[in-house]
Amino acid sequence: MGRFRYLLYKDYLLLVRDVAGLLLMFVMPILLVVLMSTLQNSTFNVVNDIHIPLLLVNNDKGELGEAIDKEISGSGIFDVTTEIGGDKPSLEDVEKEVATGKFMLGIYIPDDATEKIRTNVRKYVICAFNGIDSVPPKEDVELSIFIDPTAKASFYSILMSTLKEKAQKVQFEFILKEMTSEVNKLSPIPISTNKFSGDQVTLKSKFAILKGNKIVPNSVQHNVPAWTLFAIFFIVISLAGSIIKEREEGSFTRLLTMPCTYTEYLLSKSMIYTVVALLQFGVMLLIGIYLLPLIGLESLNLGSSVPALFALAFSSAVAAIGFGVCIGNISRTYQQSSVFGSISVVMMAAVGGVWVPIFLMSEKMQLISKLSPMNWGLSGFYDLLLRNEGFSAIIPECLALIAFGTICFIFAIIYNNKHRLDL
Amino acid sequence: MHDNYAIEINDLTKTYKGKKHPTLNGLNLNIPYGSLFGLLAPNGAGKTTTISAICGLRKFESGSIYVDGLSVKKNLNQIKSIIGLVPQDIALFPTLTAMENLRIIGGIYGISAPVLKKKIDNLLDLFDLQGSRNNIISHYSGGMKRRINLIAGLLHEPKILILDEPTVGVDAQSRKLILDKLKEINKSGTTILFISHYLEEAEEICDQVAFIDNGRVISQGTPREMIERNCNCNNLESVYLCLTGKQMRDCNG
Repeated sequence: MGRFRYLLYKDYLLLVRDVAGLLLMFVMPILLVVLMSTLQNSTFNVVNDIHIPLLLVNNDKGELGEAIDKEISGSGIFDVTTEIGGDKPSLEDVEKEVATGKFMLGIYIPDDATEKIRTNVRKYVICAFNGIDSVPPKEDVELSIFIDPTAKASFYSILMSTLKEKAQKVQFEFILKEMTSEVNKLSPIPISTNKFSGDQVTLKSKFAILKGNKIVPNSVQHNVPAWTLFAIFFIVISLAGSIIKEREEGSFTRLLTMPCTYTEYLLSKSMIYTVVALLQFGVMLLIGIYLLPLIGLESLNLGSSVPALFALAFSSAVAAIGFGVCIGNISRTYQQSSVFGSISVVMMAAVGGVWVPIFLMSEKMQLISKLSPMNWGLSGFYDLLLRNEGFSAIIPECLALIAFGTICFIFAIIYNNKHRLDL
Repeated sequence: MHDNYAIEINDLTKTYKGKKHPTLNGLNLNIPYGSLFGLLAPNGAGKTTTISAICGLRKFESGSIYVDGLSVKKNLNQIKSIIGLVPQDIALFPTLTAMENLRIIGGIYGISAPVLKKKIDNLLDLFDLQGSRNNIISHYSGGMKRRINLIAGLLHEPKILILDEPTVGVDAQSRKLILDKLKEINKSGTTILFISHYLEEAEEICDQVAFIDNGRVISQGTPREMIERNCNCNNLESVYLCLTGKQMRDCNG
């Protein structure tokens, strides 16, 4: 143990003298968390904060135009404009305005749209009550919607569903009214639908949470664990680089001729980098709790088990460090290790769900994502930070991460014995 | 295995992957205790491979190596405490100070802190580096780096010291200091295996030398014996050229 202490001392000194490496390990993840939390904050507050410029031309004098106008203006999502230069734009003008990028969306409601719907409905109801099979020709009611090619699908899908809902509501009310009128012609006792409300079903949405969970999902709860995990895995580059540097500088040769084994040499490095990873994690939690609220974001809620958070961070560190040790052994040069290390970590992050949520991936990609250790770590952090679960929920993830790190570590030792000693 | 050899190498064979010819081709070498033994060879003849095999840094296909009577294959961990290697490259941590480097190296050899402090002080005095003990190695001159590299190999007072080109790239003053100290260390009983391209150095300080070529020892003896055996030669360098030829050796794989 006395000798091992000096190996630890050596790795500690080498680390603290590597200012660029320390900056990469601590400043980079802080910047990432602050930046990504701020950027993604709007997607979590979409209803309140987004204002999509929309040009609305309502030539209808009836209920349909009125309902759409009311719904669009009252939604808060759209910045509604109804006139250009004091005039009501034509259909062509609306398309032109959207095509030139002045508006992201354009809606054109034609003349007498409501009246045409009413006429169509009346014809159908009369036919139905008189037993006429042949359906009379209907008058087309066409609402024109123009979409900026740069607009995201999610934006106009909100609009489309709103318009469809309103059109269906108007049609339903007309059908009800016409049918009542026809029934009253036949019935001795008149019926009234004046007190009937079409809104029988109300939609109440809330996040599914377990009893006692007061965590509100927001960009901070999502981004702090995701990017902290990314930072922990970025240790790979520094660790692998340190192994190669010592090999290239020759100090590694001296260590191998001294009374310490290669396993001890790697263990010492791994222990120092584990401490760094846990420090990184602690700093990121503090940033989430204290710094992010200062820039207008939510404060990070640590859930119900801080020890479980650190256990998961430790397991993630073991996985990252095992992988780093492996890359440091396989790579021949510093350039190789930094390129391979960074690309593999970025790929693990992309596949693992750090950048794109897993549920948005194809079925195949979702299966592949389960192979990424970052996916295991992230899934564990979501259990703790979003579902408010305890230690027992993350045991499978912790075991998988530690097993991955250990396998990589053992592989590195075998590879070194086979290849470096027998070149 | 003989008791009077510090290092005994028998029929050592090593072929690197992808190479047609063996780097070591049945090498036999016996280095007596207490000797200052020079191992001389053209580039690519197998000097560094021989040292690496002795220190357990490279595996070998066949043959045997005994260091202080211990088999390299079976007793490498014990051998590590007996030998001190001074590699050709400056095998130190360049971002640490000389003191930090020596403290770490001594600590890994298991030397207790007070003893280590004393040893470091003595060796820094001996090699005239006391004044720059707290300087970072990367700021040292080439000669200072060589001297610290040598001190690092001497800290644990090895029974056998292996030096690979210890004076390469240093000025005349540093070279003289290093060679003088090596003679002193040898006189105190340490066996030294000395590898150098500077044949006049070997002639000056070594009591025995061996020439290696094509992975084998082609001649061995005291410098005087070697010169006398080759009547047309008047120094070790001319013997060397006579035995190994003038053709370049590191051109072919």
